[in-house]
Amino acid sequence: MRRIGYLRLAVSSLVLTLCAQAATRPHYGGALRVQLREAPSSLDPAQADTPALGNLSRLIFDTLVRLDDRGATEPGLAASWTADPGGQRWHFTLRSGVAFQDGSALTADAAAASLRAANPQWKVFSDGNSVTVELDAPADSPAVLALPRNGIAKRSGGKLVGTGAFAISDWQAGKQLTLVANNDYWDGRPFLDSIEMEFGKNYREQTIALDLGKAEVIEIPPEETRHAMAENRQVESSAPSELMALEFSRTPQSDDEGHLRQALGLSIDRTLLNNVMLQGGGEPAGSVLPEWMTGYAFLFSPGVNLQEARKITAAIRQPAPWTLAYDGSDAIARVVAERIVLNARDTGLTLTLTTSSTSDLRLVRVPLASMDSREALVDVAAKLGLPQPKIAGGGPEALYTAESMLLQSQRVIPLLHLRVSYGLGKSVHGWSMSPEGDWRIPDVWLGGGQP
Amino acid sequence: MTYRRKLLAVFALTVFVSVGAVAWIVSAMARNAFARANEERTDALVAQFRSEFRRRGEEVAQRIQTIAGSDAATRMALALNRSSPDYGAYLNEAKNIADSQQLDFLEFVDGQGTIISSAQWPAKFGYKDASLPASPPKDAFLREEDLPEGSALGLCAMREISGGLYVIGGQRLDKNFLGTLELPPGTRAMVYQNLLNGFSSQLLIDPSGTVQNPERLAPLIAQVQQQAKETEAVVRWSGSAADDETVHAIPLTGQDGRLLGILLVGSSQRAFVELRQHIGSAALLAGAAGVLLAILFSGWAAGRVTQPVEQLAQAAREVAEGNWHTYVPVNSADELGQLADAFNRMTTELLGQRDRLVQSERVAAWRELARRLAHELKNPLFPLQLTVENLVRAREQSPQLFEEMFPEAAATLLAEIANLKAIISRFGEFSKMPQPRFERVQLNELLPNVERLFHAQFHSPERAAIECRLELAPNLAPIAADPELLHRAFSNLVLNAMDAMPQSGTLSLRTRQDGGRAVVEISDTGTGLTPEECERLFTPYYTSKAHGTGLGLAIVQSVISDHGGTISVRSKAGSGTTFVIELPGNLEKLSQSSGAASSATS
Repeated sequence: MRRIGYLRLAVSSLVLTLCAQAATRPHYGGALRVQLREAPSSLDPAQADTPALGNLSRLIFDTLVRLDDRGATEPGLAASWTADPGGQRWHFTLRSGVAFQDGSALTADAAAASLRAANPQWKVFSDGNSVTVELDAPADSPAVLALPRNGIAKRSGGKLVGTGAFAISDWQAGKQLTLVANNDYWDGRPFLDSIEMEFGKNYREQTIALDLGKAEVIEIPPEETRHAMAENRQVESSAPSELMALEFSRTPQSDDEGHLRQALGLSIDRTLLNNVMLQGGGEPAGSVLPEWMTGYAFLFSPGVNLQEARKITAAIRQPAPWTLAYDGSDAIARVVAERIVLNARDTGLTLTLTTSSTSDLRLVRVPLASMDSREALVDVAAKLGLPQPKIAGGGPEALYTAESMLLQSQRVIPLLHLRVSYGLGKSVHGWSMSPEGDWRIPDVWLGGGQP
Repeated sequence: MTYRRKLLAVFALTVFVSVGAVAWIVSAMARNAFARANEERTDALVAQFRSEFRRRGEEVAQRIQTIAGSDAATRMALALNRSSPDYGAYLNEAKNIADSQQLDFLEFVDGQGTIISSAQWPAKFGYKDASLPASPPKDAFLREEDLPEGSALGLCAMREISGGLYVIGGQRLDKNFLGTLELPPGTRAMVYQNLLNGFSSQLLIDPSGTVQNPERLAPLIAQVQQQAKETEAVVRWSGSAADDETVHAIPLTGQDGRLLGILLVGSSQRAFVELRQHIGSAALLAGAAGVLLAILFSGWAAGRVTQPVEQLAQAAREVAEGNWHTYVPVNSADELGQLADAFNRMTTELLGQRDRLVQSERVAAWRELARRLAHELKNPLFPLQLTVENLVRAREQSPQLFEEMFPEAAATLLAEIANLKAIISRFGEFSKMPQPRFERVQLNELLPNVERLFHAQFHSPERAAIECRLELAPNLAPIAADPELLHRAFSNLVLNAMDAMPQSGTLSLRTRQDGGRAVVEISDTGTGLTPEECERLFTPYYTSKAHGTGLGLAIVQSVISDHGGTISVRSKAGSGTTFVIELPGNLEKLSQSSGAASSATS
């Protein structure tokens, strides 16, 4: 009897040891449940123009190249690439053995067709196993091809098929999406068996779902990040990767108007905006692109200078009132806009809030589309409707000059760079993000842990 | 207008004026009563609203007191005492507490008036609230709240928490606030937020949000803005009086006495107006019925009053027409009865006088007839007597002379006897004047026949020539008359004219149409007649001539009278005489005479 008892004890100890090792070691299986505020109506990568959609797209569709954490390009579906002199025409050689999720092989023709659909202004050719892309502007790197919208998709019969780590299993536009692991993924099968996403959930609903164990990943707005951390939630944040700025609807019509815009920029207390309204969820912006992306600190002082602002407005007789529009569905945008109204009032400027689409200026939030600073600047300019910056040369000086030119147009006043944060359940392991907030889902695995 | 109608009109007018006066008095009294009732109702409503407003203020004050005593407020006060404020920690604090207490405005401010947390403008932390009272008032008060989209009025209260931290908050005086006020039916509350100089329609709100036709209230609001005291006015919203509204304006001032808003309590006039219209309709109906009854009664009364008068008038008309035997019944002993009795006595007296007059005239006529007969008969009798006496004397003196005288004397006797017979015959004819036999007669043809009859005599060498002129109207309509009688009458007049012109002259025969009557004028240029002669001219047996029976013009008048016509004379001594004969058309008598003739023949 005693011998049998010892045997039982030894077996039990072995099982417990194995279980403990399994809980702390990456392993396959499980469904990751994600809740997002956004409610996408399409999964087409060509329409992936928000960070959430970008992350979704990256799960299903691969790009020819990828960006590493430093923003440098690395192979994706393309094993190698070369550029013609001038940097406008690029030749990509496809990785061999890659197949779409439906089993069909990735071909240069399919890749070229996908790129043409997403970029009608490009000239894209296929030749054997290579794809030639002629961009609409010269570039010193093919980073633009790492943008989510350039994910390679096969569009047949209204269905989308990619080469990514996950394939679409169930899709209800604007409501939910179920992805299953691509067992034949060329970069290795992800740990997760599936990902279940629910859309259109506000922050309160998401936190409840997380607390009840009905979700493992939720979005946390920048202003709620500190509070979430104070509640001992597991929070993962990106580097500041979203620009909050004031965008004027037109170029200054006179020198006085330009001076008033300058005064408005000087009157805004960005530090207070970040510390109080955003609860430290970002950084005061002294440039369009954040410092971590460009390497230079700021193009103008982000501090408040009421004295100089008042001096400017005092020199101008009867400044015309402006209307400031903001996104009525964004609670933090309203508070920030209200504070800007107060700051402007301190200098003698009159701003009236509106949610109308027509206004003199509007408060905007522009996610930075790429870790590549040039691509990010071009994308920001495009989203704000500003003239495309001309970045001559490959050094940081060229970027600095282009960004300075953009700011000198006085169409945009950067306010803050915001971080993207996610709340994670305790069962989520291996979660990581790129500095701009891209998910590294293939590395994620689910283990034990109470919600 | 008859006496009855006049009396009826006077009665009706009297009743109408009386009813109208009563209706006006009743209407005025009703109007005054309604006005007083409306005034009392409005005062009651205003008092009720004040009470409701005060109650809401007490509610707000109670909620603020609850917040001031809450753990969250105490913790905030303690934290602020320990360190400088972390605005980020309280960014949504006021908002969350305001939501839980159902307050629109809530601010936590320190002793210097710096906003720690604001529900209505969360971004306003760190700024000073300039309109903060120096010390917390006991009761709720009106306050102008600064909001990102402008200003708003709030019914607020303020309390001190501890350690120099204050909480001030309240409810917005907006359409929702007005909508929650419990007001009686037919009333409504509006608020004008006096946040700008002058009048702005956007600042006037009611429970539905915007007030329709807000400019109608602008004068009342301007009056309160100028005088800063309660005012009342009736506002006309449309052409219908039922849409009128009595609006009581109450100035709402803040802690500093500044006019922040104007509370407008509207009381609809619809119920009063409809009731007044109902009463007016009923009064109008009753008045109309009264007037109708009054007219009927007046008609009956006027008939009763005027019937004797009308009988008297009718009797007087009959008397005037010659029916002197008219009798008016005497039905009462009043003045009208006495009048009727006097009338009857008058007609009786008149009849007696007429009989006496006829008697005397008859006697006079007989006397005249006797005198005329004596005169007429005396003329031929005298030669008869002389002739017979001469014959007797000749018979006594000399038979031969008798024989010689006898034939001549016999001839004279026969002639005078014939003369006597002629006289008697003429008198006989007058007594046997025939009735006219009507037939269609054209006077323009009859008169030339008369002229032709006397044409030879007009130009007889035995007398001075008479010029005869025919002036006949071409449009003279034919009439119904007896041509022979008219011919005799016209001839008689022509003879008279010839007698009046022994020294020659002009005889004019004229016709003309006067409406439905034909007029014949026979004029001479003779010696003319005196007025006295004109008066007696048609009296039988009267004559102004030396010889004549005096029956000629009487016969003429009789003929014209039998035709329904009239004859008159115009004359002036020395200027001639004109007889004017007016004859009616009498065409209806043609059918009667033809009918009579046909019936006679059948």
